[in-house]
Amino acid sequence: MASVEDRVIAVTAQVLQLNPKEIKPEHAFTTDLGAESVQSVELVAMFEEEFGIEMDEDEALSVQTVGDAVTYIAKVCEQQGIDV
Amino acid sequence: MPNQEKFPLIDATEPNLMEETFGYDLPPRIKFDGPLVEYVDGKPVEFSTEEFLKRDFYVTDTTFRDGQQARPPYTIEQMVHIYDLLSKLGGPNGVVRQTEFFLYTKNDRETLDRCRELGHRYPECTGWVRAVKADFRLVKEAGLKETGLLTSSSDYHIFQKLKFKSRKECMDSYCEVVDAAFEAGIRPRCHMEDITRADIAGFVLPFAERLMRMSEQVPEQLRVKMRLCDTMGFGVSFPGVELPRSIPKLIYKLNREVGVPTSRLDWHGHNDFHKVHVNAATAWLYGCDAANATLFGYGERTGNPPLEGAVMEYIALRGDLCGIQTEVITELANYMQSIGFPIPENYPFVGRHFNTTRAGIHAGGLRQDERIYNVFDTTKLLNRPPRVALTDKSGADGVAHWINEFFGLKDDERISKIKCHKVARWVMDQYEKEGRMSSISDQEMEDKVRELMPAYWEKHRGSTPGEGYDRIAD
Repeated sequence: MASVEDRVIAVTAQVLQLNPKEIKPEHAFTTDLGAESVQSVELVAMFEEEFGIEMDEDEALSVQTVGDAVTYIAKVCEQQGIDV
Repeated sequence: MPNQEKFPLIDATEPNLMEETFGYDLPPRIKFDGPLVEYVDGKPVEFSTEEFLKRDFYVTDTTFRDGQQARPPYTIEQMVHIYDLLSKLGGPNGVVRQTEFFLYTKNDRETLDRCRELGHRYPECTGWVRAVKADFRLVKEAGLKETGLLTSSSDYHIFQKLKFKSRKECMDSYCEVVDAAFEAGIRPRCHMEDITRADIAGFVLPFAERLMRMSEQVPEQLRVKMRLCDTMGFGVSFPGVELPRSIPKLIYKLNREVGVPTSRLDWHGHNDFHKVHVNAATAWLYGCDAANATLFGYGERTGNPPLEGAVMEYIALRGDLCGIQTEVITELANYMQSIGFPIPENYPFVGRHFNTTRAGIHAGGLRQDERIYNVFDTTKLLNRPPRVALTDKSGADGVAHWINEFFGLKDDERISKIKCHKVARWVMDQYEKEGRMSSISDQEMEDKVRELMPAYWEKHRGSTPGEGYDRIAD
């Protein structure tokens, strides 16, 4: 099973139409990867779908980097009893 | 010695929303913290705002007179319906106190009869006739107690239009007609046309003084009212302006120097310089009890003070609805549009987009607290929830707001923008990929929500559709 980080990078690459190999944990979604407003919302929606979780909208949208997203999603999965 | 800041920060961890002024249930209050001051003849003169608020100031309507001069005639049925709604709007305290009718045709007179048959106390029906003695027969036959008379006051009118040989000849002529009104038992309301371009000391004040002397000879209910007609919109509201354009000085001279009571002064403005509403409110403040207005400001050329604006101003000054039914403003707007009266989309209170935001950042504010971008509780006061119009600037916040309003969802029921992402993407693609230049229509949005959010559609389609989406006609 792929790691949380791999899955986050794969979703990010798909939504932002980037090469997964170019996405690093320290990259910020907006400033480094060019996510626009609606794409940020799409990212959160696709993360929810990928991991089968429900995220708090404001908390999820305040996450800045790919690495922070990995940490936040892992925490939400644990809280919601999702095995990752 | 440490630097002492003149304005040190007053830190707070809770917001001060100033709800005593911005209460949201009503239009924001206009509160005074002192008197108004104007220099008249070189000396400061105070106008007490406390005394102002004790006065019985109100709105008079001229939708059927000046308002109708600027458009094709209304039918009798239309005028009767509008009169009925004006009565509902102004309420039992008569905030909309009077309205005036032409009396020259059979239709004019039938309209007046039909309006009076409704039995409303307010607005009282008054007439409007030329300054011609014979016309009082019409007023008397119609059973009216008061009528407006055209008594133009500037030399542009006295000499250039009416062709009098002198001011004295003109004033004598006007006063003969006023005498005829008294004899007929009808209160004359002298419409001092073009007063903001008149010789105030040379004609207006002597004429007003003579009218006051004549009025001493008749019972109170017949005494002359004076309507100050800013025919060309030259009046200026702020202090320090010279006569004849200064509204404060003009009213001061008539009220305090000639002695015309505030109850017999009426301001009638025009909007040639975008000053019409504030000029009417200024006239209230400085001593005219009546502010004359038309529905949606429709009148000759650029129009008159908008009646619905005057009503909102009244509430803001009083801090109370005083029996006014503000939601009738929306009803009137819908009716007027249904009979071919155009209302611009950005027109205050009734324009389609008056409480519509397009920017996503504003929609985000609305989502968090509707007070951030809505002037007052438009749902309660006007039956119009705040809404968003969708363009490329609306963002997911705007889309989510539209969907929640459409489904009529409140508080915890509201759908997050995360769940609206497919519709938000469709909206963005319209502009980024399809090169669209127009905003998204409600019908398109409805279709897309049905297609892209089927589970929510299934769950909520039984809800009342967002009322803001059908209350104001396109």
